[in-house]
Amino acid sequence: MQVQLETLSNLERRITIALPMTEIDAKVTERLKRAARSAKIQGFRPGKAPFKIVEANYGPQIREEVIGEQVQQSFYVAVAQEKQRIAGYPRFEAAQESADLENFKFSAVFEVFPEVVVGDLTSAEIEKPVTPVGDAQIEQTIEILRKQRTRFNYVDRAAAEGDRVIIDFKGSIDGVLFAGGSAENHAFVLGQGQMLADFEAGVTGLKEGETKSIEVAFPEDYHGKDVAGKTAVFEITVKNVSEAQLPAIDADFAKALGVADGDVEKMRAEISKNVAREVKRRLASRTKENVMQALLDATKIDLPKSLVELEVGRLMDQARQDLQQRGMNIKDMPFPAELFTAQAERRVALGLILSAVVEANKLEAKPEQVNAMIAEFADSYEHPEEVAKWYAESAERMEGPTSMVLEDNVVEFVLSQAKVVEKEVAFDALMGNNA
Amino acid sequence: MNQERLMQVILAPIVSEKSTLIAEKNQQVAFRVVTDANKTEIKAAVELLFNVKVAAVATINAKGKTKRFGRTSGRRKDWKKAYVSLVPGQEFDLTAASAE
Repeated sequence: MQVQLETLSNLERRITIALPMTEIDAKVTERLKRAARSAKIQGFRPGKAPFKIVEANYGPQIREEVIGEQVQQSFYVAVAQEKQRIAGYPRFEAAQESADLENFKFSAVFEVFPEVVVGDLTSAEIEKPVTPVGDAQIEQTIEILRKQRTRFNYVDRAAAEGDRVIIDFKGSIDGVLFAGGSAENHAFVLGQGQMLADFEAGVTGLKEGETKSIEVAFPEDYHGKDVAGKTAVFEITVKNVSEAQLPAIDADFAKALGVADGDVEKMRAEISKNVAREVKRRLASRTKENVMQALLDATKIDLPKSLVELEVGRLMDQARQDLQQRGMNIKDMPFPAELFTAQAERRVALGLILSAVVEANKLEAKPEQVNAMIAEFADSYEHPEEVAKWYAESAERMEGPTSMVLEDNVVEFVLSQAKVVEKEVAFDALMGNNA
Repeated sequence: MNQERLMQVILAPIVSEKSTLIAEKNQQVAFRVVTDANKTEIKAAVELLFNVKVAAVATINAKGKTKRFGRTSGRRKDWKKAYVSLVPGQEFDLTAASAE
């Protein structure tokens, strides 16, 4: 076997391998002999057909098989011999026309993993968000929980902001009813911008049973194109006015939140624990993102195209499944690969960098770390031991926690190397509430 | 003899255990031929098509098998088989002939 390695570009390599024909021929004959022993051919009892006829029938097929196998096998042998690390799948090319009858020649083009040299992290600045959690934040959370459990009580008075009203309305433009402009028993809460401001203002101050006609000017950029920019007349009948009532912080409230004995203090402790955990989690994920970005910025690598393509394919599949689960028809939906390229490149680059960092700094996930991670997961389930057992059952399941531990290790390592800048992030911004 | 007729006489070579055996042992070749062919015709046809010298021809009329399909019974066509002996030293190569 003769092997010849060429460097096509930074990462691309071509390997040309010549296999002696005699070797292939010998393999083919051997296979044919084995096949002849049980070959069923019309006119002969099984296994009784003469070799010549078996060869005429099965020869080309078996030859192809043998060559395919030999190509694969010798390719990997050659790659191991040349000490190449292949990224993605190799592309095999048929032999160029050559007068060489004694050798079977073929070449394979493939990409190798790039040498990843992680840049200097010590000069990198990494922002580490910090959010203090105090009583104020817990009060705020409780407030949100209360709002989610608002009850409406019927009142006999004029509707004011914050009240929920149930109305019938008929909307017409120039005396003609328009589509989507009428409804019965429509419920909404005043003062939350659910309806147009003019409309809400018209309803405010009405009592149950009252009827009023109001003029509402639709804004130019209204989503309903037919009515945008026009002025409509709505005839409104109020059927019910209810006052919003926030639940008091008492035993019932605590029970509704899952504290069985209704102890308010316990509920507060529970909430503060949850808030603290959530804040910690979100801070950690933000820090991780910053660390990853810093790693990306600090390192320059060429990405093997085939890996990026694989990743794009994977992302596309994911997106497709996602859409399908939401009940969309994905068959006639175009999926331009460019949409995913940037993301795929980032992921591939990060994967390569991470493994390089891990290898260079001995950051492998230790079993006890993985176990700790699993214990943490399991904590929020009813039967932690069973969850832990489920993970331990297969190596595949262990992969998730293991890679998380790895990432954590890397984050820790990078943070210890780089300049860390602490930055306070407001509680609301972190949790994404607009309250 | 009419050449057009000769081209139609031989239908197919017979490939079976027996035919390979006699080919090796007696330099004979087996063919399926049209039912109304006679030995002289077959001899001439083989000599014309395969470019070999024929020593003798033996023929057999094979009766078609009766085959049943459910209740209805039917019959396959009768056919004729010819064993052609070649003059010693002649080589018969079917693949070479069909390539011509």
